[in-house]
Amino acid sequence: MTTTAPAPQVNPESAPAGASESLGSRLLRAVLTQRIVLLAVLIVLVVGVDFVLSAGGYMTAEYNFDYMATVLIDAVPLAMLALAELIVIVSGRGGIDLSIGAIVSLTGMVFGFAYGEWGWPFWAGLLLAAAVGAFLGWINGFLVARLGFPALIATLATYYAFKSLAVVINDQQPISTESIQGLDSMTRSVELPLIGQFIPNIPLGVFTFLVPTVIAVWLFLARGTYGRRIYSIGTNDVAARYSGINVAGTRMRAYVLAGLIAGLVSVYVTGEFFSARPDAGTSGNGMALPAITIAVLGGVAITGGIGRVAGVVLATLLITWLNAGILLSFEGNDGTQYQLLALGVVLIVAALLNGMANRRYGGAR
Amino acid sequence: MSSPTTLEDPGADPTAAAPRARGRVLAPPVTGQEVVLIGVIAVVWILLWIFTPAFMTPGSLQPLLVDVAPVALIGIGMTMIIITGGIDISVGGAIMVCAVSTAKMLVSLNFSIWMALLISIVIGGVLGLINGLLIAYGRVHAIIITFGTANLFQFIGLQIFHSSTVNGIPGTLASLGRGVDGRSFGVPHSFLITVVLAAIAWWYLRHTAGGRHFFAIGGDEVAARLAGVRVQRRVLLAYLITGLLIGIASLFYIAKGTSTLDQSVGAGRELAVIAAVVIGGTSIMGGRGSVLGTVLGALLVQTVTSGVTQLGWPSQLSDLFVGLAIIVAVGADLIRQRARRTA
Repeated sequence: MTTTAPAPQVNPESAPAGASESLGSRLLRAVLTQRIVLLAVLIVLVVGVDFVLSAGGYMTAEYNFDYMATVLIDAVPLAMLALAELIVIVSGRGGIDLSIGAIVSLTGMVFGFAYGEWGWPFWAGLLLAAAVGAFLGWINGFLVARLGFPALIATLATYYAFKSLAVVINDQQPISTESIQGLDSMTRSVELPLIGQFIPNIPLGVFTFLVPTVIAVWLFLARGTYGRRIYSIGTNDVAARYSGINVAGTRMRAYVLAGLIAGLVSVYVTGEFFSARPDAGTSGNGMALPAITIAVLGGVAITGGIGRVAGVVLATLLITWLNAGILLSFEGNDGTQYQLLALGVVLIVAALLNGMANRRYGGAR
Repeated sequence: MSSPTTLEDPGADPTAAAPRARGRVLAPPVTGQEVVLIGVIAVVWILLWIFTPAFMTPGSLQPLLVDVAPVALIGIGMTMIIITGGIDISVGGAIMVCAVSTAKMLVSLNFSIWMALLISIVIGGVLGLINGLLIAYGRVHAIIITFGTANLFQFIGLQIFHSSTVNGIPGTLASLGRGVDGRSFGVPHSFLITVVLAAIAWWYLRHTAGGRHFFAIGGDEVAARLAGVRVQRRVLLAYLITGLLIGIASLFYIAKGTSTLDQSVGAGRELAVIAAVVIGGTSIMGGRGSVLGTVLGALLVQTVTSGVTQLGWPSQLSDLFVGLAIIVAVGADLIRQRARRTA
């Protein structure tokens, strides 16, 4: 079942550092080989350019710290789903989850029923959404880890199935009762205690949803034994099995975790839209493709075993603030279209740069 | 579910190995997966015939074939890409670019169908070439590059749309559409074109050295290179061919609608095409697959979709069955592979 382990990837960060290098070439090496450094430089660049453009009066509204904080409202679901993809992709053997947007749609509808129609308390609805998300993720994990389906195919199939169920479950109608409309307080911006006067108001969702998820995923991946196991099965399936790791179980849990995160996102998105929409995670391009794009941009190797939480978070911030700047730079609909262009260009350039860096600094081949 | 087909498969019989050496190199013309698919399609058609007799009428089957054509046609190229171990997520965006630019030129210049075909194919070819160059020579995984170009193509397409629909498209392409003009002897032209091109691709992949190279690359890229296969050119070719086919299929999409083209053209088509290919038994890992399976896969998906509406069920329910079809088809393939390995 697990005979096609991905070729072991040479980790660019482990390349030996030459002692005789000049500062300039060392900086270049850091930018080229360490995705986090590259992303940080790009964020500074993007924000700097946006501020200059704004000060020069080229934008339709002012680009300032308040605006940067406001747009974080869109970064919350994106970053959380990208973290879900991080876990799944790192687990290796072609790991990917195309169904994650459909899971958001379906669990959002379930949450809408529980909280909006049956009058469950909020915490119970949240738990139900997380449980349903985890169950849907378990279906993916079962297909991939236990039955040996390629992840791309299994999650393509469940994408179709979940998407269809989400639409059919309430006859295409969104659920938007009074209690759900009351959820907008969840996404409102708040002033932080103590330091609140000195920094802009930040959307509440960042603290209630994003930060806990980031910390939990980071603890899981970087500080727990589960994280070590998942990186090792992602790097080399067979070696991991010989060292006594339950490969199928570990991989399955990656998909369950991704589903669970998607379940939480569905609650947030329901609050953001004031209604549980049957196509919340699947309309247009859906949520899965942008999440995968962000994960890849954040330095997650599609072959598995490589990827860090910090990279994904920085990539989300980069794209969010870049998009925010683009939106203000164009009139009307053009802005959203140029966001597509920017995302595409950034992704391709980052990927090509990565390939180049691998070859230059002792990479494969 | 797979046992009867495995028993009929002479290649699986170890005692017949020696005299059948040639047969073992080349898979049998119709593989087990395709037999299963033909069976499943037959069963579904018969069931639909029983429950809604109107299904087995030209008025119901002709639109079905018209809808199968573009997915199956692009599926030919996607099959070649997936056989080399790649994938193309940018199909939807590429369809949008080809369809909208051709439609706009038809409206403003009103040229002949051949000119439209040429323009659409050239545009599709350029887009395919971009993908192919980046993937073959950039040494980046295909899924990442095509995620990027998917965004790029959508941007280009939406820019050409210019925030509105294309209206008043002349009836130049009627011979590819749903109407009476679009059929000869009751068979839609778009489906005929697809069958002919699929037959050529089937022969090319199966019986020419160049075609076998695609399988070699998907099986083991390094070994293929060492055996003298020009890997990068072959990979480039696969994406280029897909681009050219997208150019043709885009005309089907224009012709299928009325005189209007809206911005949803092509949306989500990449997943539909990939679904058809994997249901057809092409391995997503590369090295194995067939064009015949892809055409059958597209036929099955479209049968399910149109069957659900004809039974009066909510049309969105069809996606659930598409998902189940993928699971069952790929599951059957997995079981058969495992049986072959242990045999």
